[in-house]
Amino acid sequence: MGNAYSAEALALSESQSAARAQETLAAVPCFANLPVHVQEAVAQVATHRHFDAGQIIYLEGEPATALFILERGWVKAARMSLEGREQALLFLKPCEVFGDVAIFTDTPYPATVMALEPVEVWAIDKSAILDLVARHNELAVAVIRHLAGRVLYYVGLVEDLSLRSVEARLAHTLLSHIEGDGDRLVVPRRTWTTFDEMATRLGTVRDVLSRALRTLEQEGLLKVERHQIVILDPAGLATRGDQYD
Amino acid sequence: MSQNEMERLMDERLRDSVLQALAADARTASLNLRVGVLGGIVHLGGSAPSDDDWVWAEMVSARVPGVRGVVNRIEAPGAPSPARAIHLDLL
Repeated sequence: MGNAYSAEALALSESQSAARAQETLAAVPCFANLPVHVQEAVAQVATHRHFDAGQIIYLEGEPATALFILERGWVKAARMSLEGREQALLFLKPCEVFGDVAIFTDTPYPATVMALEPVEVWAIDKSAILDLVARHNELAVAVIRHLAGRVLYYVGLVEDLSLRSVEARLAHTLLSHIEGDGDRLVVPRRTWTTFDEMATRLGTVRDVLSRALRTLEQEGLLKVERHQIVILDPAGLATRGDQYD
Repeated sequence: MSQNEMERLMDERLRDSVLQALAADARTASLNLRVGVLGGIVHLGGSAPSDDDWVWAEMVSARVPGVRGVVNRIEAPGAPSPARAIHLDLL
């Protein structure tokens, strides 16, 4: 019983696999500046895995066996509170690393990670990555940078959840996902961006989120469309996002 | 031993108990289910052949002493998506 991943690795030849893994590594911000021989060493031990939308990559409280590098698709990391409420911690897009906190703290995975779309990842076994980090200083520094970035992210999340109103959290989160669309600023709504998903990210429930969106819309800060949220007043939204309870 | 280490040890033991309970049950023994435990809450993954088995695995896990709740993310025909947002009424 236990840790077998539900999805099978795709059949790639060893050299194809290593080349593709290295290509992905080179696109990961924290690994992009690694010397080529270090990227090659990491790529050599990476195993390709595919997960369908909705499949679980690992479970909260499961022994940590691997670190993952996301090649394609979005994943969500969520954790159950002691009161039984799900809190979304991270929504990760391609070229992000996850599973590293558990690997380097030698603890079980602290969150459940699930595929929101068809996902391709590269898994690196715990023993292999620990060995590589011990042998390559540059990799160790890259890992430290990544983990430090995560610490800063979680400090922001704690601040968000504990000090900001739902409207301010929503404003803050929307601003961090803003994209240009011609002359408009929009936050695209992906197929999996349901009200429930957004509510778990903001630490609230869908009714409250729905009211918060209506409030910001009535204030003229944004407009909710079917497939995106149009940001009408980014400066106003930033001011709203900086308001504390 | 710090409080965190103590809690981790308790979760590890609870995970072992849940795995044993699932292995000892005729309907779940061969399913090779995945189990994680954090804060006394059990997280189930893997796949089951039917939604009856999906419900059964949750019941078997919930009966293990010390379990505060079960997050059922097992894949099964007719069962809800494993990736749905879940909120629990704790035991």
